[in-house]
Amino acid sequence: MTSGSSRRVITLQGQELKSVIPDLRDLPLDRLAELGDSALAHSIALYRKRLNENGIPLSSFNARI
Amino acid sequence: MITTHSIPEAAFTTLAAGSGDPAVIRYLREAQQSKHLMLLHAITEAASGSSAAASGSAAFRAGYGLLTRVQALDPGASAWLLGLPHLGGWAHDCLIRLDQESTPDLAYFACAAAAAAVRAGIPFELDLPVRDGCVQLPALGSLRICDQSPWVRLCCDGERVTAEGGFEAPWRLLVPDDGSGGPVPQWRGTPMVRAVTDGLAWDVLLETGDLYLDRYTLPMSIGLSADEIGRWRHRVQSAWEILVHHHRWAAEPMADGISVIVPLMPQHDTDLVSATTPAAFGAVATSWPPDPVTMAETLVHEFQHVKLCGLMDMVPLVQPGTEKVYAPWRQDPRPASGLLQGVYAHIGISRFWHAQQHAETDPDDVLRAQAAFARWRSTIDCAARTLLRTGCLTQAGVRFVGMIRNQGRDLESESVPGNAQEIASEVALDHWLTWQIRHMAIDAAGVASVAAAYKRGESFADQVQPNTWIEEETRKVGRAVRSRLLNMRYLAPARYRELCADGTLSLSEADRLLVSKEASAAVQAYRDQIAGAADPQPDAWIGLTLALHQLPSSPLQMAFATHLPLIFDVHACLGGRSDPLDLAGWFI
Repeated sequence: MTSGSSRRVITLQGQELKSVIPDLRDLPLDRLAELGDSALAHSIALYRKRLNENGIPLSSFNARI
Repeated sequence: MITTHSIPEAAFTTLAAGSGDPAVIRYLREAQQSKHLMLLHAITEAASGSSAAASGSAAFRAGYGLLTRVQALDPGASAWLLGLPHLGGWAHDCLIRLDQESTPDLAYFACAAAAAAVRAGIPFELDLPVRDGCVQLPALGSLRICDQSPWVRLCCDGERVTAEGGFEAPWRLLVPDDGSGGPVPQWRGTPMVRAVTDGLAWDVLLETGDLYLDRYTLPMSIGLSADEIGRWRHRVQSAWEILVHHHRWAAEPMADGISVIVPLMPQHDTDLVSATTPAAFGAVATSWPPDPVTMAETLVHEFQHVKLCGLMDMVPLVQPGTEKVYAPWRQDPRPASGLLQGVYAHIGISRFWHAQQHAETDPDDVLRAQAAFARWRSTIDCAARTLLRTGCLTQAGVRFVGMIRNQGRDLESESVPGNAQEIASEVALDHWLTWQIRHMAIDAAGVASVAAAYKRGESFADQVQPNTWIEEETRKVGRAVRSRLLNMRYLAPARYRELCADGTLSLSEADRLLVSKEASAAVQAYRDQIAGAADPQPDAWIGLTLALHQLPSSPLQMAFATHLPLIFDVHACLGGRSDPLDLAGWFI
């Protein structure tokens, strides 16, 4: 089903899309607070701005039969 | 130096195709763990200066300390907690409350940290809030507390968990309830389904007790009986068998991407409501699906939303915008972000029905699958074009939607039997016409100008098109029975035949003729209905258009399908005296 798609799609093979989410997985929790005014604060501000602008959209579907 | 999560182009392309293997889902899950940590940090900072109750703040700090220790001793246990949709739901609720200067439920985090510690058997002592006589350990279960105190001290010595009031049990027994274990006094494990088919396993919680996953358009089904839980387990298992046998492309990533199903309480017996929220990645909510195939379709549908929510947290695809547009699966006008979610869901739904039509054997079920496939695949290109037109997409969004559109075209090239295609096309046209009549407002002066030109015998092609815009409800449309009946032909063919046979349906004569495919007679009956009524008849105009489309192809069909709201308004402006077909002929 999907084989035909590649012929019309411009892909950027080998590239990566950078996200705005800081990678905190390996960071000890007690070091989170030390990050202070950093990329983390910037990411949080961006996320909260998005929340304020868009709220939390709910994808809800009613398939009444 | 903090790096940010990224997603390879190949994974982005895979997701745009509606797919996503377990490796792709891992990118999304790992980003969600970091997102939850980020939100946790934001809550920590905001809570330190908030007016939250001192006891809640103290519990939060103690929970934070415990989770720090869990992370050091058993990173897998803290990662488990940080990946839970429960934590996402709670964190979003806290942020919203902090922004609104209301009191966040900080103490919940102590329960969450205790759940991670219990799961790993790590020793601790922690005071936890008691609500409705229970202590919640998110994603594990709840502990009934015998005394009336609002707080209870929970302890784990590495072997046993004890609580004030006499509770004592090995930590290894404080697990979700998959139906196989014996009872533990005072403990109620969160119901769990362990679905297994052909070697592919899926463990999923049936969450009916967590406050922060009770966040959908319908309330969570709290207090399910043992029988009801058993029915849900059986239904999930049956749906899983369908997915594994016929839709493995969806089943494999789903096993990694959906960890919680939230059963919802429907308002009506005929409702099938399902929902997803970006606040709780990994959770999907649904009311009771009437059959395993519907459950399987619902899971595919909602999992598409889960994947897209995860991707959009990483890579914004839509910018905020105010324009609302037509979504072929909704009655209301939708913003671009909603349309993107919907079209992505319908890529999955179309692929589901495409495969399902070959899996079914009962003629009614085959028809349902074929017509559903034809119905939903046709919406993808239309919705993708609408999205590209809005200008609301980011650069990545334009690429993503372009790939969705290609998927839609590939699906459109698949053959569908004539009867199923005919039903699907008629239902789609009915939806589009009804939406236009209901929501497309037209500038009254422009309508008057067009009506005057018609009276003067000028050409429609020479007229300036009146301004149009979308409103919540600009004309009242009420013929829901007809639309439901048209849909019922493929959604519930046996019921459709039954209703047609007993003759008790409250249909107008014109509608009855339309449903019976007596197209010429239906056209005449709608014309008579429109001519004989003192008030505008939007339902009859829609019916007239549908009846015309049952006849051999003619230019009138295009005029009605393209200009129905304007024809309707011009007809009303002319005092309702012109014949609908004569008037529509002028718009060709």
